[in-house]
Amino acid sequence: MSVLDGIAIVGVAETAIGKLPGRSAISLQAEAGVAAVAAAGLAKDDIDGVFSFSGYSQAMMLHAARVAEHLGLRPELAVVTDVGGPGTHHAALLNVAAAIDAGMCTAALCTYGENGISIRRSGRGRAPGTLTGGEDFEAPYGQIAMISGYALFAQRHMHLHGTTSEQLGAVAVTSRYHASLNDNAHKREPITLADHQASPMISSPLRRLDCSLISDAGGAFVVTSVERARSLGVPYARVLGYGAATTHHVPSQAPDLHELGGPLAATRAFERSGMTAADVDAVYIHDACTFSVVAGVEALGLCGEGEGGPYAESGALALGSKCPVNLHGGMLSHGHAGGVFHLLDAVRQLQGTAGQRQVDGAEVVVAHGNGGVFSTFSTMVLGRGG
Amino acid sequence: MTGKPRPDLNDAAAAPYWEAAARHELMLPRCDGCGLVFFPPREHCPGCWNGDLSWQPMSGGGKVWTFTEVHVAFYDDTWAEDVPYVVAVIELDEGPRLLANIVEPDMDRLSIGDRVEVVFEDRSEGVSLPMFRAIK
Repeated sequence: MSVLDGIAIVGVAETAIGKLPGRSAISLQAEAGVAAVAAAGLAKDDIDGVFSFSGYSQAMMLHAARVAEHLGLRPELAVVTDVGGPGTHHAALLNVAAAIDAGMCTAALCTYGENGISIRRSGRGRAPGTLTGGEDFEAPYGQIAMISGYALFAQRHMHLHGTTSEQLGAVAVTSRYHASLNDNAHKREPITLADHQASPMISSPLRRLDCSLISDAGGAFVVTSVERARSLGVPYARVLGYGAATTHHVPSQAPDLHELGGPLAATRAFERSGMTAADVDAVYIHDACTFSVVAGVEALGLCGEGEGGPYAESGALALGSKCPVNLHGGMLSHGHAGGVFHLLDAVRQLQGTAGQRQVDGAEVVVAHGNGGVFSTFSTMVLGRGG
Repeated sequence: MTGKPRPDLNDAAAAPYWEAAARHELMLPRCDGCGLVFFPPREHCPGCWNGDLSWQPMSGGGKVWTFTEVHVAFYDDTWAEDVPYVVAVIELDEGPRLLANIVEPDMDRLSIGDRVEVVFEDRSEGVSLPMFRAIK
C-alpha cells in the first residue's frame, strides 16, 4: 500500500489559452482554481490545502501562500513543488497524498500556469535563460534557451539512430490535428509536413514547428481522498503508479541518450502500478519539442530504443491508434504554460469528458516527461476511478 | 562593451579554472582520492565526495559529442550579431564533457565525432572563454 492509493483527482479546469493581455500568472492560476473546485463538486470552504508552482515567467517565492491569499484561503499547508515539467505536478500529488494520510488536509487545490507572452510585454518578466542554471559555464556561450538544449539531444539521436526531420514533423502534424479537435487549444489550424519542413530553423535540427508554444494560461486540479470522491458523485482518476528519475541539471552534464531518466521513471511507475505499456489506452508526453515525444514513446516502451522516429511516422501517435499521444494537442499546439495540461487531459480521458478526442472506454492513461533538458523525468500511471 | 553573460570569476571553486583560461590554458580539477577529472569545478569530487583536489592541465583535444546551430537571438538582441552560432558539447580526451562554441564552423562538414582543439576567446576585462575549433 502507498499513500498514493488513497487519493483521487476529482476536478480539473483550464483558462482560455493564448495571448491574454493584462493577466498575471497568479490571476490565471486562481481562475483555473475556482473552476476546478466547482468541477469537483466542492466549494471554497472545502479546500484546506494549496499546492502550486509559480512557473518560470513570473518566478516568485512562497508561491502557494500567494495563491492561498489571492483566493482568500487559510490552509494548513501551502506547498510549492518545482521538479520541472510534469514532475512538478506529479510531486504535488505525492505531497497531497502524504498530507491527506497525515490528517493535514482533506481536499487540496493544485494550481499552475504562466503568462509567458504577456509578461514580456509588461517588461516585468525574467528571461528563462537566467533560471536555467548554466550561468557560469553555458550562458556565456549563448546556451540560454531551453530549445537549444533540446536541439543538442535531437541532433545526437539523429546521429545515433538515423532519426529524420520529417519524422519529427510527423509529431508536429499529429499534435496539431489533435488540437483541431480541442476548442480550447492555442493553435488549431491544421498543418502539413510541408509546412513543418518550410518553417524556419530555430536551433538545428529543430524548426519553428518543432518547438512548443509560449502561452498565457492557467490550469488546476483538485485532489481528495478516494472515500470523499465517491461521496461527491463526480467521475475521478486514481494513481496506479508513480516513478521518477533525476540524472543532471544542465545539458552538458547529461548522460548519453540511453542512460537518461525516461526509461527508469517509466519502468518504476509501471512496476508500481502492475501495468505494462500494453495496458495503456493513451499517453501524454511533455512535448517541449517534437523530439521529446520521440524520446518519450521509446522511454515508455511503446517502441524500441532508437525507433521513436519511425514509430511517430507510422501514425501510431494519432487518435484511433492503439495508444494515441497528446490528444489535447500538447504544448506544441494546445498551449505551454508549464505543462499541467497533459495531466488535466489524462484525467479527462479517465472521466470520459474529453469530447471529440475521447478514447472510448479509457481505463489506463499515462502522463510522462521531463523537466529541464531531460534532467528530471516523471511518469504517472493513472486509472479510472470507481 | 558586450552584454553577454559573464561567469562569476570570484567563485572560489572555479576561480583557478578562469585564471588558467585567462592564460589560455585549459585546466580541470582532479580528485586526489579516486583520480576522477571532472567539470564543472566544485569543492568536492562528484564521484567520491573527497575534498582534496588538484588542478590538472588538459591536452586541449576532444571530440564533438553533439551540437546545434542557433539561428535565433533569444529574448533580446544580446546575441543578434552572433547568429547563427554553434553551441556544442565537447567530450575532452580526458573524459569530462563541457559546453562551448565551435569557432569558424564549416556547417557543410561539421559532424558528431569530429576532432576539435581548444582555442580561447578573450571577452571583456579578465574573461577568457575556452572555445573549440575543428581539426582539419
